[in-house]
Amino acid sequence: MKAELDDLSKVFTPEQIAQLDAIIAKHKGKPGGLIPVLEEAQVTLEYLPPSVQARIARGLNLPFSRVYGVVTFYSFFTMTPRGRHTVRVCLGTACYVRGGKAIAETLEKTFGIKEGETTPDRRFTYETVRCLGACGLGPVVVVDDDVHGRVKPAKVKDILGPYV
Amino acid sequence: MKVFRSHLLLCGGTGCHASGSLEVKKALLAELDKRGLADEIKVVETGCNGFCAMGPIMVVYPDGVMYTLIQAADIPELVEEHLVKGRVLERLLYKEPATGETIPTMQEIPFFALQELRVLRNRGIIDPEKIEEYIARDGYAGMAKALTEMSSEDIVKEILDSGLRGRGGAGFPTGLKWKFASQSPGDIKYVLCNADEGDPGAFMDRSVLEADPHAVLEGMAIAAKAIGAHHGYIYCRAEYPLAIHRLNIAITQAKEAGLLGKDILGTGFDFDLEIYQGAGAFVCGEETALMTSIEGKRGMPRPRPPFPAVAGLWQRPSVLNNVETLANIGQIILRGAAWHASVGSEKSKGTKVFALTGDVNNVGLVEVPMGTPLGKIVFDIGGGIPKGKKFKAAQLGGPSGGMIPTQHLNAPVDYEKVAELGAIMGSGGLIVMNEDSCAVDMARFFMDFCQDESCGKCTPCREGTKRMLEILTNITQGQGKEGDIPLLEEMAGIIKDSALCGLGQTAPNPVLSTLRYFRHEYEDHIKNHHCAAAVCSALFKSPCQHTCPIEMDIPAYIALVRADRFEDAYRVLLKTNPFPSVCGRVCDHKCQSKCRRGKMDEPVAIKFLKRFITDNAPRPKITAVPVDRKQKIAVVGAGPAGLTAARDLALRGYKVNVFEELPEAGGMLRWAIPAYRLPRNILAREIDDVRALGVDIQCNTRVGKDLPWRKVAAEHDVIYLAPGAHASQKMDIPGEDLGGVWGGVEFLRDFNANEEAWLSGKKTLGAKVAVVGGGNSAIDAARVAARLGAEVTILYRRERKDMPAAEEEILAAVHEGIKIEYLVAPLKIQGKDGKVSAIACQRMMLGEFDRSGRKRPIPVEGSEFTLSVDAIVAAIGQVPDTSFVPEDSGVSVNRWACLDLVPDSKSQTTNPKFHAGGDAVTGPDTVIAAIAAGHQAARDIDASIRQSAGEPAWEAPEEEKIDIPLVIDEETLESPQTAMPEMAPSERRQGFAEVELGFTREAAIAEACRCLRCDIEI
Amino acid sequence: MAKLKISDLKKIKEKVHAETALREGDRRVRVTVHMGTCGIASGAREVLDALMREIEESGVSDVVITTSGCMGLCSREPLVTVEIIGREPIKYEYVNPNKMRQIFKRHVLEGEVQTPFVLARGAEIVK
Repeated sequence: MKAELDDLSKVFTPEQIAQLDAIIAKHKGKPGGLIPVLEEAQVTLEYLPPSVQARIARGLNLPFSRVYGVVTFYSFFTMTPRGRHTVRVCLGTACYVRGGKAIAETLEKTFGIKEGETTPDRRFTYETVRCLGACGLGPVVVVDDDVHGRVKPAKVKDILGPYV
Repeated sequence: MKVFRSHLLLCGGTGCHASGSLEVKKALLAELDKRGLADEIKVVETGCNGFCAMGPIMVVYPDGVMYTLIQAADIPELVEEHLVKGRVLERLLYKEPATGETIPTMQEIPFFALQELRVLRNRGIIDPEKIEEYIARDGYAGMAKALTEMSSEDIVKEILDSGLRGRGGAGFPTGLKWKFASQSPGDIKYVLCNADEGDPGAFMDRSVLEADPHAVLEGMAIAAKAIGAHHGYIYCRAEYPLAIHRLNIAITQAKEAGLLGKDILGTGFDFDLEIYQGAGAFVCGEETALMTSIEGKRGMPRPRPPFPAVAGLWQRPSVLNNVETLANIGQIILRGAAWHASVGSEKSKGTKVFALTGDVNNVGLVEVPMGTPLGKIVFDIGGGIPKGKKFKAAQLGGPSGGMIPTQHLNAPVDYEKVAELGAIMGSGGLIVMNEDSCAVDMARFFMDFCQDESCGKCTPCREGTKRMLEILTNITQGQGKEGDIPLLEEMAGIIKDSALCGLGQTAPNPVLSTLRYFRHEYEDHIKNHHCAAAVCSALFKSPCQHTCPIEMDIPAYIALVRADRFEDAYRVLLKTNPFPSVCGRVCDHKCQSKCRRGKMDEPVAIKFLKRFITDNAPRPKITAVPVDRKQKIAVVGAGPAGLTAARDLALRGYKVNVFEELPEAGGMLRWAIPAYRLPRNILAREIDDVRALGVDIQCNTRVGKDLPWRKVAAEHDVIYLAPGAHASQKMDIPGEDLGGVWGGVEFLRDFNANEEAWLSGKKTLGAKVAVVGGGNSAIDAARVAARLGAEVTILYRRERKDMPAAEEEILAAVHEGIKIEYLVAPLKIQGKDGKVSAIACQRMMLGEFDRSGRKRPIPVEGSEFTLSVDAIVAAIGQVPDTSFVPEDSGVSVNRWACLDLVPDSKSQTTNPKFHAGGDAVTGPDTVIAAIAAGHQAARDIDASIRQSAGEPAWEAPEEEKIDIPLVIDEETLESPQTAMPEMAPSERRQGFAEVELGFTREAAIAEACRCLRCDIEI
Repeated sequence: MAKLKISDLKKIKEKVHAETALREGDRRVRVTVHMGTCGIASGAREVLDALMREIEESGVSDVVITTSGCMGLCSREPLVTVEIIGREPIKYEYVNPNKMRQIFKRHVLEGEVQTPFVLARGAEIVK
């Protein structure tokens, strides 16, 4: 318990830990509450390191393995700290057919990182996704919550420019 | 940031460029500069705004005033009036036509007119965040009816009778699902909505949830009443924040209004529901996995039985329906089962919503009756394929589905037919693919998806998809092996049979489907390391080079043009192509269709640059190659195939004799293609080079007539037959043998042989000429006839976009005043005194799709009409004249009069002494294909001679090294292809001078700079 | 909203019909910005902002803005429908803030349809 709190306090502020506890309390006892807790926790803390998972497991009276299993199963959850901005390149079929691959390659070249990685300056986390449902605008790049449609490789730099 | 008081948006689309927007821009900039306004007013060139007929167009902001048909001369006045004095210049102002009748109604736009809106009936009309607007369009009336007038059994029966089947993909009857759940004992039951739309390329559910969320809530409440549930979940993917947002609003509003919750509408029925946000796992679209996920566990499927209707969420009886299914329910209850079943096909009732995406002009949501032909969805509603590309296949059912290719465009899209064709209906993602998609790569793409999304619970799916992906990846990277295809098929069968859930069982579908329709592409990748779509980049350096039948090193010569090293560029051309000046003029440039630059704006003008090199650099000198081999080779036919083979064999040290029936060498290049496209001296120069190597060309020598077949055979070790296809196909209509009726190539040949007689009027077609056909020969014949002073009409039985002739040729013909009648077919030729006087024709309309993916023309009864003409040129196709091949020669000729090759050889005939190639084997094809055939034959002939003599294979002498400069621009700005300067149409008809004038040095270098150098790996 | 009874559904329907037909009050024009994910991604939000600013600056009070979901033709987004009372609705395609301002100034205020930007007139028919 003490060790777990120590781990948590190294990365998160007491306020954040209190928020986490509040989220746990809100869903405690509800059937199927684990995934909503993880979703909300990730929104608050940005990522779910083992220390957070341990606290959730204890709070919901679940084995750690169960929490860990769920976190690693769903692509929405991440265990590493993220960049200030998330760049997601859609590689759904429609975007793929319309040249999404070239966009992904351009990004990788520009930042020298691979899918799922974060730039050393923590400016961007780069991910690929399977279809955002904006197929009419393919290829699509989503930066944070902004969807950019009909992207061409040469435009990638311009699009990312404002996100500092 | 600089602030401008005004922005001038000048259209820079191709249409406006053509009507002079560049001059306008220049004048504008100069004028602003002159008046010192350059700092206050900014000129912006925009993309095409689709109003090309009124171009050049300029819009002045912030006023929003639009000027049309601007000329450079108007600029001073425009600037003075509008920008200095602030007065609108009325003279150039765009004026609305008085009535507005020019605007089409929604019913005149096929995209909207051909749809049948039921699920999407509220789209674009209601505000999804206002429950009143939904209610105003009969919303919740179905639910009110179900809760007050109907028993649980009534509801189930209504849905059963309606024939509604699950829209999530499998097509299980919804009524039956409800029946089972309603019959399951238990107080606690659940209604679940599957909004985990995970198929890449599908967005029907998202759109319904965003545009009409209450329709789903209403459907769920009715389902709840039907099965006796009081609680429901909507499982929605987190990637759809707007859908979740609107659903939340809808649920809140419905609860406040008493349309959800306790005692709904005062009926005593309770139903409450909440949203469950998915966390990104495709497998959760599978019903048992989805339930496991709501339970807060890893979303893995569980074996069935027990089925969810018996033991679903938390082991309670549950019904899971997809968003679209639920959105159908309210209207079915309100309007009755018969109304729903009134559209659709026999076993698939109602409508289906498709997310139409990919390479199609109109991307969007399409709701059509079940059983609508695929071609109608893609071409009539979808508006066809952009940029004139060809349709290849439609992908249905996402990673669990399959491809439906061109030959099935007439297939009615319903559950049964789609399954029969090897795809699945799926949730409704319909992705159109054009010729630039590779079947193997798509199969790999979907397998990668399934492998990635496999939950790992069962071995066949976890390991099987991984192994299949490995094989597919190998094939796309040129490491495919013999036996890979059967192995894929075997594994597909095993996974299908043994995987636990739908995801695994359907994962092999894309592979099986592509193997069914595009097996040749797999074979091409494995055996030839060739990807016809130029997608699998591990197989090639650059897509243009890979696509060129003779693999010319295009990036190299373009880089050399850019570096101003034209002579080196010429040497690069000649390495692979003995006819670069010919190809620079008349090649069909397949390379450009795959140019990566084309994905950005327009392809590089590879053909024009090739011509520029040959026009502007000194032609490298050819010296004879000594004959050092004892075998002698004969070539029959001095066209591009024969001459290429002769050249290659001469380079390898053979003595080659070429026999040509006509008075001059060149084949179709000399005898069919008119001089205004390919000047004679240009062609002669390239043929002279073949002679200079030591090849002997004997003209006026028809083998089998002027020179006995047996003699040729006796005096040579190997004979290459490349006689081309120089006879026109007959139209097969009455009157075809009247005087004045020509075959296309026969007319062109006669003209080219007797130019003087034709030009002096000794020979004539007459004043009015009809040309029948839509290929390049038809256009050539028409343009020649026009130059002889005739009034020419081309009759073509299909539409413009179906014409096989090159687009630029068709345009040129139109510019030269040639009339083209589309959808017209000849019926009969009428004559007087043994000479043609008129042609009777019939109009055609378009019917179903044929195997080529074009709509088949069918006659319109009673539309016959007669055109009086003095001559008719029938250019509907060519066949080889292979009558010179004796029957006892052992060389087999097939029923199309083409020469047969033995299986597994690309040039050997049924008699090993004879090879063959070019149009006489393939039927009419392109120059570059003939050159490729010549290269192939030379390689094969040489290899077979050396092999039988036990000699090692030929090694090409070391080539001089030409170093290729590497300059890549940091930034690439969009710019259109450089246009080819042309002679004015009015001058063209005066003679046979070359129409295309060639690039200037500056234009060529600028165009070369457009190359993205995608051949370079950094 | 109070809890509804069956009869209320009909009343709401009639009331909204009156409203959506634009017969109530002094509404002269209804402008609908189509805002599905696709529309927003291609810039519908900016179009909406521009429209609201225009309305504010011009001080008119008889123009009502509504939003709705996707109209189906995602490849022509952003789409905007302008409906002047008593006239056929006009659907504009590929709208951006500049075009929106022009449409507002010249069509909404002056009644002059901006044909170059028009997709179609009328509405879809639900059979």
